Amino acid sequence: MRTTDAIKVRITDGPLPDAPARNADGECGAWVVFEGVVRRDEGGRAISALRYTAYEPMATNQLAELAGSILNTHGLVRVEVEHSRGQVPVGACSFRLSIGSAHRKEALAAMDEFIDRMKQDVPIWKEPVWA
Amino acid sequence: MRISVKLFGAEALAAGAAEAVIDLDMPATCAELRKAMRAQAPALAASLDWARFAVNGRYASDDEPIGPGDELALIGLVSGG
Repeated sequence: MRTTDAIKVRITDGPLPDAPARNADGECGAWVVFEGVVRRDEGGRAISALRYTAYEPMATNQLAELAGSILNTHGLVRVEVEHSRGQVPVGACSFRLSIGSAHRKEALAAMDEFIDRMKQDVPIWKEPVWA
Repeated sequence: MRISVKLFGAEALAAGAAEAVIDLDMPATCAELRKAMRAQAPALAASLDWARFAVNGRYASDDEPIGPGDELALIGLVSGG
């Protein structure tokens, strides 16, 4: 896990637990939270789970670097990233990105950019577990 | 000397292994490693046209030097999220 006051990054074995309680110090007027959930099919074929592999510690370091870059670029207050490794069953959460900012616009823009860049650069892979 | 390069995802599937063992004179560069892998790991030829190397956990350009003891990985298409 990598943590600063503004950034939290955690890679967790198996499905992610429910979202932790949000910081309520009033600094953020907006929290945008995206949860990626395992869909029941992959390319039209049923699956029972996805199995994630992360190249550590590079994956955590890349997520933290990306969080820092996004935080500065968009003037955010907080960026919190959680990603699964190992097996995550259909319907369970495998990725959560929580972005806190003073106003909604910068958080919404940052959300899209973070996910696009993560899918290019962060060494995490998934493979289907066929049903 | 004989070095190993970690493989993941589609590259691990293509090679049928979690690492590629390559003979390479050290010190070398990532470009020389790429050339050696093309010759010695033909199953990875398609990926080697564009996949990136990581050296000690950081993406490396082709002119980056590598030496004995460096942790090397071939990073193809990632698919997190």
